[in-house]
Amino acid sequence: MRVYSHVIVALLAGACAFAQPGPYRMGRPGPGDFAFMGGEFGFARKVVTGAPYSAQVVTQSSQTLADGNRIQRSTSASVARDSEGRTRSERTMGAIGTMSASGSPSKAVFIHDPVAGMSYVLDPGKRVARQMQVSSRRAPGTADSAAEGRSRHGFSEQSAGRQSNRTAQTVDLGIQTMEGVAAQGKRVTRMIPANRAGSERDIEVVTETWYSPDLQVVVMSKTSDPRFGESIYKLTNISRGEPDHSLFAVPSDYSVQQGRPPRLGQ
Amino acid sequence: MNENELMDGLRELRGGEPREAPRHVEERLLAEFRKRSGRRQTAWWQAGVIGAIAAGIAALVWLAGVTANRAPHTVAELRPEAAVLESVAEEDTSDFYPLPAAEALPAVETAMVVRVELPMSSLRLMGYPVNEEPSGEPVQADVLLGQDGLARGVRVVE
Repeated sequence: MRVYSHVIVALLAGACAFAQPGPYRMGRPGPGDFAFMGGEFGFARKVVTGAPYSAQVVTQSSQTLADGNRIQRSTSASVARDSEGRTRSERTMGAIGTMSASGSPSKAVFIHDPVAGMSYVLDPGKRVARQMQVSSRRAPGTADSAAEGRSRHGFSEQSAGRQSNRTAQTVDLGIQTMEGVAAQGKRVTRMIPANRAGSERDIEVVTETWYSPDLQVVVMSKTSDPRFGESIYKLTNISRGEPDHSLFAVPSDYSVQQGRPPRLGQ
Repeated sequence: MNENELMDGLRELRGGEPREAPRHVEERLLAEFRKRSGRRQTAWWQAGVIGAIAAGIAALVWLAGVTANRAPHTVAELRPEAAVLESVAEEDTSDFYPLPAAEALPAVETAMVVRVELPMSSLRLMGYPVNEEPSGEPVQADVLLGQDGLARGVRVVE
């Protein structure tokens, strides 16, 4: 009898142990709209060499609800690029647009190193780096145009297809100096016909973009879409010096894992 | 023996005094009955315990399978032949659903893919097509973010 009791207790304990959440799982979204689980991978659409910089990124999103209430979120990140085209983006995952993360915001760091042909995702909380091989098809110095880069990906092709259906009007805003760099501005106004959007009237979506030809990055953008609200993206504190080389390397106290978690269900 | 003789014999039996087995035979029969009955109860109890153990093992195997599916593995561990292709991160965005809210956003310069867990209703709010009535059950999804941290595409992974 005693032996059987011990067996049953052991089985129950084992079942409880297996039922504990794994290290990768953070549980259901709590009070927020989503639970951040981890960075998967990062990459650059084009490799830009000879134009190093570092900056802070601020993104503000706001949406006015039907009852007049207003949702506002702000996120920040830091970005850097060295002369050889390596990039680093360090982001606190507190929000995605107007959606907020549950729990305390987690940080994720993405490093893209086209020189070594590697991409890394760092998890500062766990001191773990995931290393992935990246395509060597585009060598440093042979930067693809943004258009060519986009056309190579099914995702962007779909987006482009959608956008081509809209009536767009582009206005040149000239050149302005923003955060110490010259930027070329343009405003694109797209009209979504009422019959296509299912709305009573046409929907007007306006995007203002300020692009630095020197740095080959968007310095500021502002998008206003009545369906999804307004978002403003800004690079601030732009420094054009060479960033510290250590920013593009995995810290020595990190354990490096190969690959990345596969898509579940594959 | 004909029928009459048989009937006479039965009448004689019925009319006689009740006949009982000897006392010691009855006691031995009862003792044997109790013994066998006890064995049968023990057998049932043992069968119950064995069944519980089997159910427990089955539950553990099932839980282990679920946990293994959720645990991080490298691509090479699961599909060695696909590891090379999967590791080329740039090619791995073709199955993202482009979000309507991203149509007007500037082109992606640097992208990040993060895995999140969120309710179906949030996916619908993002513009992801959800055919069924969204439940409160969370799903796991990869979100493609641009340099501005705004979502450009989503793919559901669970």
